[in-house]
Amino acid sequence: MTTPALSLKNAMLSLNGNAGRVDILHGISLDIEEGHTVGLVGTSGSGKSSLLMLMGGLEQASGGTIHALGQDLTAMNEDALALFRRDNMGVVFQSFHLIPTMTAVENVATPLELAGVKDAFERARSELSDVGLSHRADHYPSQMSGGEQQRVALARASVARPKILLADEPTGNLDGTNGNAIMDLLFGLRDKHGATLVLVTHSDVLAARCDQIIRLEDGLIAQESIAK
Amino acid sequence: MSIAIAARFAFRELRGGLKGFTIFLSCLALGVAAIAAVGSVRTAIETGLSVEGAALLGGDAELDFTYRFANAQEKDWMQSRANAVSEIAEFRSMAVVDNGDQTERGLTQVKAVDDAYPLIGTMELNPAMDLGAALVAQNGLPGAVMERALIDRLGLSIGKTFALGTQQFYLSAEIMREPDGAAGGFGLGPRTLVRTADLVNSSLLASGTLFNTKYRLDLPPNPDLEALEANARAEFQNSGMRWTDARNGAPGVTEFVNRLGAFLVLVGLSGLAVGGVGVAAAVRAYLAEKTNVIATLRTLGAERSTIFQTYFIQIGVLSLIGISIGLLLGALAPLLLAPLIEARLPIPANFGIYPAPLFEAAIYGLLTAFIFTLWPLARAEDVRAATLFRDALGSSKLFPAPRYLLAIVIALCALIGLAATFSGTWRLTLVTSGGIMVALLMLVVSAAIIQWLAKRGGKITKGRPAWRWALTSISGTQEGAASVILSLGLGLSVLASVGQIDGNLRNAITGNLPDIAPSYFFVDIQRDQMEGYTKRLENDPAVRRIDSAPMLRGVITLINGKPAREVAGDHWVLEGDRGVTYADRPSKRTRITAGEWWPEGYSGPPLISFAAEEAEEMNLSLGDTVTMNILGRDITGTISSFREVDFSSAGIGFILSMNPSALRGAPHTFISTVYAEPEAETAILRDLAKAYPNITAIRVRDAIERVADVLSGLAAATSYGASATLLTGFLVLIGAAAAGTNARTYEAAVLKTLGATRGRILLSFALRSALLGLASGLVALAAGIAGGWAVSTFVMNIEYTVIWPSALAIIAGGVIATLVAGLLFAWGPLAVRPAQVLRARE
Repeated sequence: MTTPALSLKNAMLSLNGNAGRVDILHGISLDIEEGHTVGLVGTSGSGKSSLLMLMGGLEQASGGTIHALGQDLTAMNEDALALFRRDNMGVVFQSFHLIPTMTAVENVATPLELAGVKDAFERARSELSDVGLSHRADHYPSQMSGGEQQRVALARASVARPKILLADEPTGNLDGTNGNAIMDLLFGLRDKHGATLVLVTHSDVLAARCDQIIRLEDGLIAQESIAK
Repeated sequence: MSIAIAARFAFRELRGGLKGFTIFLSCLALGVAAIAAVGSVRTAIETGLSVEGAALLGGDAELDFTYRFANAQEKDWMQSRANAVSEIAEFRSMAVVDNGDQTERGLTQVKAVDDAYPLIGTMELNPAMDLGAALVAQNGLPGAVMERALIDRLGLSIGKTFALGTQQFYLSAEIMREPDGAAGGFGLGPRTLVRTADLVNSSLLASGTLFNTKYRLDLPPNPDLEALEANARAEFQNSGMRWTDARNGAPGVTEFVNRLGAFLVLVGLSGLAVGGVGVAAAVRAYLAEKTNVIATLRTLGAERSTIFQTYFIQIGVLSLIGISIGLLLGALAPLLLAPLIEARLPIPANFGIYPAPLFEAAIYGLLTAFIFTLWPLARAEDVRAATLFRDALGSSKLFPAPRYLLAIVIALCALIGLAATFSGTWRLTLVTSGGIMVALLMLVVSAAIIQWLAKRGGKITKGRPAWRWALTSISGTQEGAASVILSLGLGLSVLASVGQIDGNLRNAITGNLPDIAPSYFFVDIQRDQMEGYTKRLENDPAVRRIDSAPMLRGVITLINGKPAREVAGDHWVLEGDRGVTYADRPSKRTRITAGEWWPEGYSGPPLISFAAEEAEEMNLSLGDTVTMNILGRDITGTISSFREVDFSSAGIGFILSMNPSALRGAPHTFISTVYAEPEAETAILRDLAKAYPNITAIRVRDAIERVADVLSGLAAATSYGASATLLTGFLVLIGAAAAGTNARTYEAAVLKTLGATRGRILLSFALRSALLGLASGLVALAAGIAGGWAVSTFVMNIEYTVIWPSALAIIAGGVIATLVAGLLFAWGPLAVRPAQVLRARE
């Protein structure tokens, strides 16, 4: 039996805000096998993005355990989590979150630079070329369209060949055409490099492209199904 | 490894240019520039004094004697070593013009010179002529030259005559510039210059009168001044001789410039602290803008240290740019303003680029930038990756990690230590830095209280929307309100403190004096004149009180047989000569604090009654021996009592009083104070001056006005320094106002959507600014009063009262400054159409 890429046991998340304590996830347990693609669906506020954040170590669980590639994320401090992400994960956001003061190639090279990779820029250019943006390598985010920015974000997420790709509504800020192109690229990259992909989406059509679909409701798993 | 990556990230971010850093750079540059400029001017003056030492002194070296001319042995010593020697006698006297029906009198500082004067430089006269020609006799009357102030006071004109003592002179020219004028120090009257030989018949310079003689030496080229000084001191150690030479031609001026410079640098440092508040606010704002970038970097695997280093390098580079601009301004401003400064300085200054003060300013700038930016920078590494998803929740901690706090404390200690070392005054540095820190703490607490009050106030302003919006925006925009109160409050606090100290000092000198101070001091009254003098005054019903005492002057040379300075350091009593008196019994007002006064008619070994407060400062005890050199003769006495001496009443006060037989035979005159009704003063002066032309009358009010003049110059210099601090505060204010523009724009758009008119919105913005300014002014007033009280009470030992005009001006200044800054940035938000703003937010 192989170790799951991601394994959550009774994972909980509560946050303290100005209005008081908010319970977001009420105890999620699930395993995601290595190389699988998983679609996280559900209504707004159901806890999809929060669950993704827990998987990426971007948010600290209030209870339960989260293992990624066999390592307990809940036992790691902020820096250990950062290093773990650098070496094992790629994250794509709905709002791209490119660094505005860096060019496309610099944005893509950043995770490689952080990992001390010598040919970071050559690999970044090659990755940009894979997403069809070699001609935009030296442009700043503000000089690019939304679709292009998301392609740069995809390249940045996959350039270090992460074992896990986390994508939070990557097409949420894009029109249909651009959205479809991005999803093709995302799945293409995953197929090419064999990473585990967890995708948060509102779209059942997109979710249907995944191996497994998890539907959340009010911070709990309402339904788990195999898509294909 | 991490540093290299951080440096790369940092420079990528910096490629965006310096936009958004205007206030950061201005604050740092202005603070550094002010300190660099003050330091550069101080160094220019010090260099000028050192280069022009001989010209200022009027010779390569000077031997100074009190009360007497040099004796033959001393003159031989001088003549055998110098190419030329010039003898000068200086004393105070009355210049008198008799216009027949009316007599004009003016106090003057007389300088009696020989043919060799001036050894160095030339006397500038109007009409232009040689000094020798100006002093030559015409129609049997010797010539004299005089300063314009006295010429005007006496109603004289060139060619007219006046008297010094019983000798008539004719005025040949006006003194435009005296080559050795700066070295003379503070004088109570304008200068009159005559030949010493022409005073023979003046009855001035008689035995016992108060005069100083100076012998200037023109030495062979490249003299070994140190060796010569040592030789002179060894030769004449007990003669009361004082030595000055060209290495420091005007020691009093040098010390004054040093102290004033040190004080102004400390004022500059408080300016830098105000700038620091602005710098910290700018860094916080910048990092807040960068939160997403930092969170993204964290998502991509950047460690905390990489994040910290990335922004530390950026802020470091920006700080270096700000400091460099400041140094450039600070170095160039004195150069550009040199003609203006030189015209107002009575002493020479060599303007140029001096590395030492620039280095000092750079170090201050670097440490200040470090202290004020480390806190927000350290908090940047606490930004979590999750911030990308939700920014309101999980806000970062208030305090950074302990290692950063420790670094801030170490940098602060280094800054204070360096400031104390550079300024040479630990006490003033500690008081200033303590004051700044207490003021900052007060302001932080006040900002929190004001925001809390604003929150509460919001509820009681129902029905007054403009007030409610103003109060809620003060309580809501925590960063902006705190920045304004901190920066403007600190700037105003410095200005308020200066205003309170200056006002109280002036009050202490000029206020209430008529109640306690005498009208006139009369000096140089000969023993045989005392009877007639006293009779004239005792018969005058307008005279309330007369105090007279014999007066000699001498220098304390030894204490318990050891050189006095070794025992009592550089106490002011040991600087120069001091008045000594004698009395058979204590006066009615004397209060003995320890020991006993000598028995009447006592004629044993000399006994001394010493001023109690000064004795305590000098560590003197009953039974200690004090040696005074009076007229070249050493007199050693034993301290038998201490007594209270109050110098603040401007009456007669002697540090030393001896038994009469100890000073028997020493030629001396009497000093007397007269307490009279103001309307009787003129008649007293007229009668006494007519009967005793050798007596000098010093009107206390005139003397006080001269002191007040000097003080107003000092207060002006300090105010310029404090204004630089306030200007920095205003810059920070502008920065805070500019930073709030987005919030104001959004606020205005929403309010307009809800139906608010532009006038109403503007009123709410103005109220917000005015309330913040008022709060800053009130806090500054409290800090200023506290600072003024502390300095007046503990440093200056003067009574403290609140100077309300200055205090109210500070509050008004605070309100006006914030209003101007706030409204300056209100027009933009008011002009934008709501849809434009609200759509952009979606």
